[in-house]
Amino acid sequence: MAHNIVIPTKDKLFNLSEFFSFTKGNILTAFILGGGLIITFIRFTQGIGSVTNLSDVQPWGMWIGFDLLCGVSLAAGGYFTTVACYVMGMKHFHSAVRPAVTTAFLGYAFVVVALLYDLGHWWRLPYMFFFPGTTSVLFEVGLCVATYLTVLFVEFSVAPCEWLAAKFPILLKWRTLVNRSTIILTIFGVTLSTLHQSSLGSLYLIAPRKLYPLWYSPFLPMFFFVSSMAAGGSMVIFEGMLAHKSVHHYMDATHLKEADELVFSFSKAVSFILFAYFMIKLIDMLVQDNISYLCSGYGALWFLEIFGFVLLPAFLYAKGSRDRNLRLCRFAAANTVAGIVFNRFNISMIAYNYDLPSAERYFPSIWEIWISCFVVTLIVTVYRFIVYHMPVLYEHPNFQDAH
Amino acid sequence: MRNGTTLLLLAAIAVAGVAYLTLWEPSLAPAAPALTSVSDAPSAMVIFPVGEKPNYEGVGMKPVVFNHLVHKNRVENCESCHHTGETVACTTCHTVEGNVKGKFVTLNQAMHTLRILPQADRNTPQSCVSCHTKQLQKPKCAGCHSIVKPTRSEIYCNVCHSVTGLTKADIVDGIAGKLSDERKAELAANTLKARKNPVQLQPTDGPYKVMIDDIADKYKANMFAHRRHVNSLMGRIKDNALASAFHNQPTTLCSTCHHNRLLASASPKCGSCHSQRANPDPATPARPQLKAAYHLQCMGCHKGMNVARPLNISCVTCHKESEGQSVARAAEKLGEK
Amino acid sequence: MNRRKFLAILGSAGVASALGTSKVAKAGGGTHTWPYYENSYGILHDTTRCIGCRNCEEGCNKVNNLPKPDNPFNDLSVMNKSRRMTPTAWTVVNKYELDGKPVFRKSQCFHCNDPACASACFAKCFQKQPNGSVTYDDSQCVGCRYCMIACPFYVPSFEYDDAWDPRVVKCTFCELRLKEGKLPGCVESCPMDALTFGRRADLIKVARARIKDNPDKYTDYIYGEWDAGGTAWMVLAPIAPDVADKKHSRIETGHEFKELGLDTHLGNRPMGELTYGALGAVPMIVAFWPVLFGGAYAISKRREAIHMAETEAIVRETKEDVVNAMDAAVRKIAETQGPGAADAACQAMADAMKTREEACAHCGHHGEDK
Repeated sequence: MAHNIVIPTKDKLFNLSEFFSFTKGNILTAFILGGGLIITFIRFTQGIGSVTNLSDVQPWGMWIGFDLLCGVSLAAGGYFTTVACYVMGMKHFHSAVRPAVTTAFLGYAFVVVALLYDLGHWWRLPYMFFFPGTTSVLFEVGLCVATYLTVLFVEFSVAPCEWLAAKFPILLKWRTLVNRSTIILTIFGVTLSTLHQSSLGSLYLIAPRKLYPLWYSPFLPMFFFVSSMAAGGSMVIFEGMLAHKSVHHYMDATHLKEADELVFSFSKAVSFILFAYFMIKLIDMLVQDNISYLCSGYGALWFLEIFGFVLLPAFLYAKGSRDRNLRLCRFAAANTVAGIVFNRFNISMIAYNYDLPSAERYFPSIWEIWISCFVVTLIVTVYRFIVYHMPVLYEHPNFQDAH
Repeated sequence: MRNGTTLLLLAAIAVAGVAYLTLWEPSLAPAAPALTSVSDAPSAMVIFPVGEKPNYEGVGMKPVVFNHLVHKNRVENCESCHHTGETVACTTCHTVEGNVKGKFVTLNQAMHTLRILPQADRNTPQSCVSCHTKQLQKPKCAGCHSIVKPTRSEIYCNVCHSVTGLTKADIVDGIAGKLSDERKAELAANTLKARKNPVQLQPTDGPYKVMIDDIADKYKANMFAHRRHVNSLMGRIKDNALASAFHNQPTTLCSTCHHNRLLASASPKCGSCHSQRANPDPATPARPQLKAAYHLQCMGCHKGMNVARPLNISCVTCHKESEGQSVARAAEKLGEK
Repeated sequence: MNRRKFLAILGSAGVASALGTSKVAKAGGGTHTWPYYENSYGILHDTTRCIGCRNCEEGCNKVNNLPKPDNPFNDLSVMNKSRRMTPTAWTVVNKYELDGKPVFRKSQCFHCNDPACASACFAKCFQKQPNGSVTYDDSQCVGCRYCMIACPFYVPSFEYDDAWDPRVVKCTFCELRLKEGKLPGCVESCPMDALTFGRRADLIKVARARIKDNPDKYTDYIYGEWDAGGTAWMVLAPIAPDVADKKHSRIETGHEFKELGLDTHLGNRPMGELTYGALGAVPMIVAFWPVLFGGAYAISKRREAIHMAETEAIVRETKEDVVNAMDAAVRKIAETQGPGAADAACQAMADAMKTREEACAHCGHHGEDK
């Protein structure tokens, strides 16, 4: 009985028909990608200044604040799920690992792509390995992201191997090797994730006078790491929700059966993490004697972030997992994801340079936002391609013994 | 005589004006009698370095003759100096060694210190020197004194610390408080009589105009109205007793600008020390380069005296542009167009 | 891997970590001490002398061959607006108000003793030179602009409009001119010696002397002596009259610097040190995480094994029970109804078991699927 779906690439190599139907999604995708390509061309021929509102006082804007900071933290689902499944031994979530690893891999790959837009000499990105500035937090981020991207690629590579195995049987050897080293890859991955997730927070440690005191803290790396766990768990739920809406017919029975249980289980875990995050944020605020800053516009933002996007989803998750309310859990996941984005925006843009006159402050240009949307659309499109071709949401009948 | 009435009227007004300006002067004079018609406050007095330790040899800090009358009329009220409100002698509390009554503020500190903590709950005391230093901020003084500070030399000390006809026995008795009032008055009177302010060089002793052309390059040489400047400076402090007493050398006033060039033609030129350096001179970082040396003197003095003119960024007020420079600028303008 | 090879690897790891901390070690006892370079140069900017003539801007422009600005340098109306450094203007003079009186301050790179930009750069573009300058080598710049985030003085600017070779640009301390024995362009062109060039250590003494001689003129603070770990460029500020009056209270000392647009709360340690704690945790995590997660993995694995063994035991017992029961039943049937009936019963039971087992095998397989 094992599989109740038709394997799309059983007899043929490609399954591209879904891209060429005139659905709303496809038209929107084409529109965003088309516009994005034009902006890309302008960016790479006319310079960063031609499409962004970046300035000498605000050198990092939307592309770092959203594409890098949010991109990396929202791709934390990869390490969160693999650790839950392989290290903690929650084998019944096995069907969630591959989608999570896939999205994490795509997330990281496109973080690097988006980064190229933001770099002045983008072709020199590998220079950091030749002239390593070891005192730089960014060096640590770069090194870990590069290594982790490799790890994710290896973890993910099983899916394309299974897809192409019929044509290139040699790939099976690689697949076996990867499967054997799963646990090593997982532990390597979580170590690297811890390092660079926290280091993204450490990036701002060097600018204590530029970031509003409610957000600046010597514990920024810890906040970033803890919130990335919440982001990872929530993103798995959130992505699952979206996948169920759009690519439901590529999910096999096992996946569908395990999906709901996974939501409740992750909800519980993320609820705990969010409560912990709330507590450390609160204690940090008290310890740093920041109460006087609460009575300002930024204080209101902080309250909104901490209560509306941390404590609220924590409660919703707790209630959702107790009552086994799928909708509530999914809402909480969306709420958490929005909260993470809000937090990263606050740190990188809204509460950054708070002391400067408003004329010198930054607001992203429409083109910067477009490029960010462009990158997200690219991720979605590549994800669709992978799902249409590779055994991600279902098990390939030839490889059922995989675990 | 068609305009006779008008002319007469004008003449009358002129006479009245002259009369007003000249005749009213004496009527303002009654201030002077007030100087003498004080209660029982002393006019001039000798302040001895009173201390707990006996002084048999008559050595130590020289006593000071203090013209109480003159100072009294220059301060707001008695509390300015008698900061406790009691009009007693300074040495009542402040002795050479310091004691509990004077909160261990020694006589030396009480008279000379510049670092006086503002008192929150009572009158902030002043010392002789702190008050005198404050006088230097008056615009007529601040020109030079924003550039130079009084040299604390022996001559400087002697302006106050000198009593004519003082004997060792007087000191011993004075410290012990045994000196008779008559003797004290005599000493004070003799000293005041003997005090003579040093004669200053006069503006006419210097050149009328001076050509400053050491660094004429972008701009033409500057013709400095030397005598006009000296006249103006001296005129302002002509009647200032403090300045007259402390400008204790004939060249004191000159030495603000001529700080190492005491008017003899053999002494060094400015450019001897102030190089037009094109190279870094790390050995003497504090010494201004020649151009800056001139500018710091001129602008420092003008700024201190609140002379609004010339604007210190308007170069051509003092320096005419050289031909080369104006041609270059014209060319630049043409190029822009 | 033999012992020798192992030791070699261990040794190189040690060297690598030692390299990372050599800077700290050089300073002695793990703390940064000033000066790193005893004879480094600096510049003292005395804002009480500055008249806002913009000659320094012109001098900088000239010696560095920068493009001519739209407004000529003698146009002082630009002072009415706050300006900042740009890729083509490496220094700017701004006008500030201190109790109604204009005070001018020149901005440029402060050339920190331990620069935040150098600490932040992940491609080692910035270098503190022994002569005091902080130099930037654009040949290996990736263009990430983290230096601009790190700089507490908002100094570096970036050529945003250059697509092919956008560089970070900042004052160079006229490093090449220094090597030729010349003064920086701005210092040379200052008509007031508001910029004093010299050894940094001497300049501090000069500044101290000026403050001491003119307590009513200067704020009693040398900006840059310690700020952000100390800078090569230091600033003296005039004292505001209200403080001059009660000059000995010293309560509000330093607010003048804030009014001159200088941040007086940067602390006296290099900005880079703020990240050292986080960077120092890296080896800890690298060492500890695998142990932690490896342990968690081992625990979950062991629990699984125990669970498996227990399940097997129960299944075996149950099976034996069933067999025994069947045996007893068959014997009873043989006793009561004779061997023929027993055989028939035996057959029937064996069939039933087989069907059941098949079904079970199916479930079992399915269960394993999880």
